[in-house]
Amino acid sequence: MSRDLSVMMLAWEYPPRTIGGISPHIYYLSKSLAKNGVKVHVVTCDFPGAPAHEVVDGVEVYRIDSYKNPSPDFATWVYLMNMNMQKEAAAITRQLGGKIDIFHAHDWLVATAGIGLKHVFRKPFFATIHSTEIGRRNGIHFDYEKMIHETEAWLTYEAWKVICCSDYMVQHVKWAFGLPPDKLVMIPNGVNPQVYAKSEKENLAEFRSRYALPEEKIVLFVGRLVYEKGVHVLVNAAPKVLEKTNAKFVIVGNGYMKDQLSSLANGMGLVHKVLFTGFLDEETLRKLQRCADVSVVPSLFEPFGIVALEAMAAKSPVVVSDTGGLSEIVKHDVDGVKVYTGNPDSLAWGINRVLTDEAYADTIRTNAYRKVQEEYNWDKIAQQTKTMYENILAEYSKSFWAQKTQ
Amino acid sequence: MQIIILSWEYPPRIVGQLASYVKNLAVHLVKNQTRTCVITYDDYLTGEYEEAEGVKTVRVTNPVRTHIGVLTWVLTLNQEVARAASNVYYNNDKQVDVIDVQDWHFIPAAVTLKKGLGIPFIYSIESLEDHRSHGANSPFNMAIKSIEWLGTYEAERLLVKSQWMRDETARQYKVPSEKIRIASSEPSKLAEEILENYKAALEKNK
Repeated sequence: MSRDLSVMMLAWEYPPRTIGGISPHIYYLSKSLAKNGVKVHVVTCDFPGAPAHEVVDGVEVYRIDSYKNPSPDFATWVYLMNMNMQKEAAAITRQLGGKIDIFHAHDWLVATAGIGLKHVFRKPFFATIHSTEIGRRNGIHFDYEKMIHETEAWLTYEAWKVICCSDYMVQHVKWAFGLPPDKLVMIPNGVNPQVYAKSEKENLAEFRSRYALPEEKIVLFVGRLVYEKGVHVLVNAAPKVLEKTNAKFVIVGNGYMKDQLSSLANGMGLVHKVLFTGFLDEETLRKLQRCADVSVVPSLFEPFGIVALEAMAAKSPVVVSDTGGLSEIVKHDVDGVKVYTGNPDSLAWGINRVLTDEAYADTIRTNAYRKVQEEYNWDKIAQQTKTMYENILAEYSKSFWAQKTQ
Repeated sequence: MQIIILSWEYPPRIVGQLASYVKNLAVHLVKNQTRTCVITYDDYLTGEYEEAEGVKTVRVTNPVRTHIGVLTWVLTLNQEVARAASNVYYNNDKQVDVIDVQDWHFIPAAVTLKKGLGIPFIYSIESLEDHRSHGANSPFNMAIKSIEWLGTYEAERLLVKSQWMRDETARQYKVPSEKIRIASSEPSKLAEEILENYKAALEKNK
């Protein structure tokens, strides 16, 4: 190929719009692909104050109007947003003279936009499945969920390759949609330790005092306050932790379970020990992750668990539930602690194991930091992704689509 | 001239009066030496492809079988419509002159095909959401209206069937009235008149 490989990536979140793990994933993946000589165009939803078009670290970022259409519910909003996204992405592709080699969609939230673009421009199409409806809801119970599940199935059907970020997720997606194994590719998620190194020299004592008393150990949770993240398991574990250690439970994030969780903490008489901070900006969050004496990921369902990697990169010891992608990231007693999923007693044991033995905490902290640098390095992930793109383009060039569209 | 008509109803699938109108139009377009392809929803009776009286018909189904409302059904089905229309485009040496989209359902596909492949479209209005829902303005109705608006904005021309509808469309969506044309109700003249509008759309797009 005489010019650079050119990819259009569709995602419903990209910084500064950050809702879950997809936003940092797209940010680092696109930036690292650009560094490896791939031209990336990210098409994403708009965000107040963010420009409609900008170049970020060599990546073209387009933010489309995503709230123009009134919608009766979230799923309908998604499909309407996809209509606008597809329209804008089609216009951008045409302006580029059709010089997009690959379309790559992330999750069902951009499925219909991506599927349409694939057929209009007849290019290879990739889907990364970060999470599934059947996993998020622990089954499919209502028509609303079934519709999303079927949209996900359609997305995997239309994709040339389906990418998952963990071996667990590969198995899960294969089961959920009945996919042939050779359609699935595992490329891990990554983390960038440099962002934590930046503030290393700062004195965080004053910052820390905003969240906890000096004698309190900080037990940190970061994530959406939704059922599958298992925050209620952590709150239920708190009394057992407090029997042995004076700790403060700092819970960062928002979600539909926020009121329920704070009344749970109230009812248990833990108001002074559990702090709900709401959503925090990136910089504050990073500092807090560095202050944490232990970071807890008590998820009931976790396709990957990027937040565990972030904690490891921030040199905070991690305690995770032994499920999904978390099981693969953490090696018990080596670079973290694994506990039984959905079990407050086990979780309390794990937290105390770290908080009561400083030498142990230091060992897992050091091993974890080495691991993120070696295995979850974005540069390496971008190269793997690029190689996959190139292999599929070679296959595609022999197809009648490639010949007819030239 | 190669035309694609997008319509959510087409015989034998008859929901309202649009089906027979589109059928009549397609047959007359063919008689006027216009290659015509109708893309419509599968009725489970006729099969995917059909060629009758010179009109090619492609019928698509929705890969998402479960829905919570007509909007989610329509918006997902649009991808299959876009796929079918793209197939016609590529199989015809990238030559589709004009798309005629009947009512709001397949406006999203028409807009994508215009933006992506440069095919202009005409939006033919049988009825408007404001009349169908008696002025209701719940988010559901407003969402449909926003799609209708997109059609009026992106189309080269709007075709209506009466002076009253012309006034209504101009009033509701602030469309300059010269953009809206009334198609004759006389069947023999219909194809000719509509063809003129197609040619105008094509001309404007050059």
